[in-house]
Amino acid sequence: MTSSPTAGARPDEVRRHNRTALLRRLHVGGPCTRAALATELGLNRSTIKALVDGLAESGVVEERVPRLRSGAGRPSLLVLPRSHAAVVLAVDIRVEQVAIALVGLGGEMLARNSWNLHGRARDPDELITHVIESTRVLVDDLGVRMTGVGVSVPGVVRRRDGFVHEAPNLRWSGIPLGDRLGVALAAPVRVANDAEIAALAEHLRGAARGSLDAVYVSADIGVGGGVISDGSTLRGTAGYVGELGHMVVNPAGRACYCGSRGCWETEVGELALCRALDLPEHSPRGMVVAELRALAQRPELAAARLGEFREWLTLGLVNIVNAFGPELVVLGDLFTALPPALVAEVGAEVGRRSLVSRAIGGTRVLASAMGSDVKLVGAAELAFEPVLDMV
Amino acid sequence: MSEPVLELTGLNKSFGPVHVLHDVDFTVRAGEVTALVGDNGAGKSTLVKCVAGIHPMDSGQVRFAGERVSIGGPRDAARLGIEVVYQDLALADNLDIVQNMFLGRERGSDWLLDEAAMEKAARDTLASLSVRTVKSVRTPVSALSGGQRQTVAIAKSVLWESKVVLLDEPTAALGVAQTRQVLDLVRRLAEQGLGVVLISHNMADVFEVADRIATLYLGRMVAEVATRDVTHGQIVELITAGRSGDLGLARPETATV
Repeated sequence: MTSSPTAGARPDEVRRHNRTALLRRLHVGGPCTRAALATELGLNRSTIKALVDGLAESGVVEERVPRLRSGAGRPSLLVLPRSHAAVVLAVDIRVEQVAIALVGLGGEMLARNSWNLHGRARDPDELITHVIESTRVLVDDLGVRMTGVGVSVPGVVRRRDGFVHEAPNLRWSGIPLGDRLGVALAAPVRVANDAEIAALAEHLRGAARGSLDAVYVSADIGVGGGVISDGSTLRGTAGYVGELGHMVVNPAGRACYCGSRGCWETEVGELALCRALDLPEHSPRGMVVAELRALAQRPELAAARLGEFREWLTLGLVNIVNAFGPELVVLGDLFTALPPALVAEVGAEVGRRSLVSRAIGGTRVLASAMGSDVKLVGAAELAFEPVLDMV
Repeated sequence: MSEPVLELTGLNKSFGPVHVLHDVDFTVRAGEVTALVGDNGAGKSTLVKCVAGIHPMDSGQVRFAGERVSIGGPRDAARLGIEVVYQDLALADNLDIVQNMFLGRERGSDWLLDEAAMEKAARDTLASLSVRTVKSVRTPVSALSGGQRQTVAIAKSVLWESKVVLLDEPTAALGVAQTRQVLDLVRRLAEQGLGVVLISHNMADVFEVADRIATLYLGRMVAEVATRDVTHGQIVELITAGRSGDLGLARPETATV
């Protein structure tokens, strides 16, 4: 919409706004009865009927009589989003692997693929070609049209055009990823930092749902964070925010590839975990997970091995809680494999040490329940943002 | 670093006069995808069937999570947590997804099956793998596509909390797109900490999903290498000639007879 904030809204703009709001509600919250939609959106029933009829006519939603009846009288019809009405591509580029998924309206993953990079296939040309080829296979198989693309990259990304300024763990710098994918896939592409994307996913569909101030911190090879502040993503100038892993916690620590020394990620990243667990560096992800799961069964051994790691994790989280004042910190990715007892201890310790946490009555620290798909889910939501206005 | 979840040493197997497996050593680590490759008749399927308890081993030791065990039959293997997925989409066609996943291990009392609990467990398992392509867990298996059938077969191993999953050419009967999805699932199984063995003839697939590659050549294990250390060409040489440079069998001129 192009109208200035002071201009009054014309009826067709209001209608368009309501339609998008309704669609967003169905997309994020799932199937819902007409009556509940009217209550949640604060619109009257005839407006809802007109909107739903319009959407049903264009094949975006369908209606069904609900199986479980509640209350007396004629049951309100259940409105369901049709997943094939709008399909986007989600791409999750990581240091060791790439995953792609076609996601339909309502968040259903319709098709997916992933592959290992084995450290040598990080050449951006090869990676981009592989993404394009695998996408074509999945799109042809499903027989759908792709309306948008969302890409998660572990690096510093310019929001406007998806230019990857620097992705140090991939050894990328200055890659016009958004433009290149956009040309090949003939769809609008949005690229964002992986932690920001994961924070978006947690905010819309995960543990941070309904929470206005939350921080998502995840460990892969690198450690990153995304901040939801007052209900929206904190971005910084041109979208360059999220490098929580490069907050310096140990000036006497290891050199980091970013040029600094003792970054948080050198103490709590995947390589630090491998060292703590006595695994060779660059062990497959599953091996680290298996080792952590085994440790969860033996608390005294876990305490001995992960003691130092726990301390660094606590320290960084105290800093983060003090800086952003979130009500909730969600630990994602590799952190989800940590023994639950350890996460609980870290949470309690952060509550004791952080001034801000004490002031707001205790920041909760939770492990994400979304597993390793969180970035795919977030990338899909990123792609859906502009699409919901158009379908 | 803990013990490998499954370790075979000196495994021998003959069918009558045919010596199929010669002193095979094979290791499966938790959280890794180990690809088992080799030419037709190299002994891949026989090796898997020995581990699954379908063929008795003539000699050899099996250690499971560091402990000596003997696998006398499929029940022993299932009890240890070893699950096998076959290439021919082996599910009972006349049963639905829930019944297939619980086949032979149904829940409930002697008189009444606990259908609701089984249905919920099946649904939760599929959801945990973010497999949302199946409309209902009560769909009969005959109505599923090849990829969906393999997905159900693989999900079974998650439901039963298996430690090791052996997949014998799980994508042989599938189209391109379906193959991609099954391989994606295979990768994610390993990421959850399971030990995964994948038999495949497709080098591209092997390199996309495997962390290590074990090559059988005429019944001998000639190399077990990390995927990141080798090239397609080297593996093809190992499969066809049993050696590639320093890898594999010793050269005939240096071998002692």
